[in-house]
Amino acid sequence: MLEVRGLFKSFGQSEILRGIDLTVEKGDVIAIIGPSGSGKTTLLRCMNYLERADAGQMVFDDVTYDMKLVTKKEILDIRRRTGFVFQNYNLFANKTALKNITEGLTTARKIPAEEARETGLRMLEKVGLAGYEDYYPASLSGGQQQRVAIARAIAPDPEVIYFDEPTSALDPELTKEVLEVMRALAAEGSTMVVVTHEMAFAKNVANKVIFMEGGRIVEAADAETFFAAPAQDRSREFLHGLDY
Amino acid sequence: MNERIIHILIDSFPKIILPGIAMTIPLTVIAFSLALIIGLVTAMIQFANVKVLKPLARFYVWVVRGTPLLVQLFVVFYGLPSVGILIDPFPAAVIVFAINEGAYSAETIRSALEAVPAGQLEAGYCAGMTYMQTMRRIVLPQALRTAVPPLSNSVIAMLKDTSLAANITVAEMLMATQRAVSVYYEPLWLYLEVGLIYLLFTTLFTWLQRRLEKRLNRSVKGAQNA
Ligand SMILES: Nc1ncnc2c1ncn2[C@@H]1O[C@H](COP(=O)(O)OP(=O)(O)OP(=O)(O)O)[C@@H](O)[C@H]1O
Ligand SMILES: [Mg+2]
Repeated sequence: MLEVRGLFKSFGQSEILRGIDLTVEKGDVIAIIGPSGSGKTTLLRCMNYLERADAGQMVFDDVTYDMKLVTKKEILDIRRRTGFVFQNYNLFANKTALKNITEGLTTARKIPAEEARETGLRMLEKVGLAGYEDYYPASLSGGQQQRVAIARAIAPDPEVIYFDEPTSALDPELTKEVLEVMRALAAEGSTMVVVTHEMAFAKNVANKVIFMEGGRIVEAADAETFFAAPAQDRSREFLHGLDY
Repeated sequence: MNERIIHILIDSFPKIILPGIAMTIPLTVIAFSLALIIGLVTAMIQFANVKVLKPLARFYVWVVRGTPLLVQLFVVFYGLPSVGILIDPFPAAVIVFAINEGAYSAETIRSALEAVPAGQLEAGYCAGMTYMQTMRRIVLPQALRTAVPPLSNSVIAMLKDTSLAANITVAEMLMATQRAVSVYYEPLWLYLEVGLIYLLFTTLFTWLQRRLEKRLNRSVKGAQNA
């Protein structure tokens, strides 16, 4: 469904992504793990064109895009078929929880307000926040904000949702409620690419694991295989050092 | 203060406040509204890094902020006629005040835009919105909330600065007071009187500013601690 080939990205002199190839099948839950600074965030950002790649190809629903030369219109179209959940939520500070969800439906996708509202309320319920539609982000806890952010990302029914360490800014208690929501999404068959430090999530929820280091994919494997017996020494060392 | 002075103050009051209502206030309101539009466009051009226009915007801000308002008034009113451009005093004042204040507003709005976290724009992109959609619906409302207090200060400063328009023969309050002084020969009391009327006007504007801020706080609650 989604494929990235030969993705390169540098910031100034430093090469951050050095030839990434990855494939996402429909229904996949892919956990991307790796040490800090290995380029995980940059990879997700390039895939949603928040950063422009220096080279690379993306095949999305059988259409091939040059990740460097992709046009604004194509980017808009790709983004409207994907969702993105940020580490620090990035809810629209001037919008209520409900408006955070409906904004992308009404403004970007021209869905009628009433229909968008219904979808929004349904999404809030889905992430366990029924009744919170009129709350502003500032009056929600981190866990609640992240769940609204997830509701916002899934409301347009995207083909794939990217998560960049969705729980790493949260306390363990709040982490649990967010992971619960993500687990439910995965169970429904949503296609998800999740950068995470939560090894339990990677092990129990993801079906594939990608281990990155130094801007390269060191190992990509089935989650089960990966955690039972990593093929690469570096993966083994990394897992060992984590002590999850 | 004797009876004569009181009589003079009462007598001159309408002569001073009427030009205030007819000139000072309209000049402030019209010029400031135009300044907001100029400031918004100038700030957006810089914020969005628009090619070619951005250096022009910087140049405009640099020139206007680096030269005295009074000189700008003189250039437009006394200078331009020599190249065949004649503008009546009131429109000339409106143009100069709008252009002058536009440069200051631009800086205020630009820094308010830059204070909005970059994640807000990125979240807008990821929600499928275009740059303009995200600016209009997410970034600008938050920036304007930040910009309202400094902009309100600018309105009040401008209201007082309109007294400079007397220098290009706009019949505003200060000029009306000067006329009254030449009739009654009581400069101290009359200038104190016009000062009080300015104070009255600025108090009114301050009160309006408070109400506006309260309303904004209600409608974009929490925007400041994002
Ligand atoms: N906008 C940028 N400009 C310059 N360097 C950047 C930029 N963004 C990221 N980098 C650098 O790229 C490298 C990889 O960053 P990235 O955020 O992708 O890593 P990561 O794997 O997500 O790390 P973490 O686990 O800490 O989130 C880091 O060395 C970082 O300093
Ligand atoms: Mg990261």
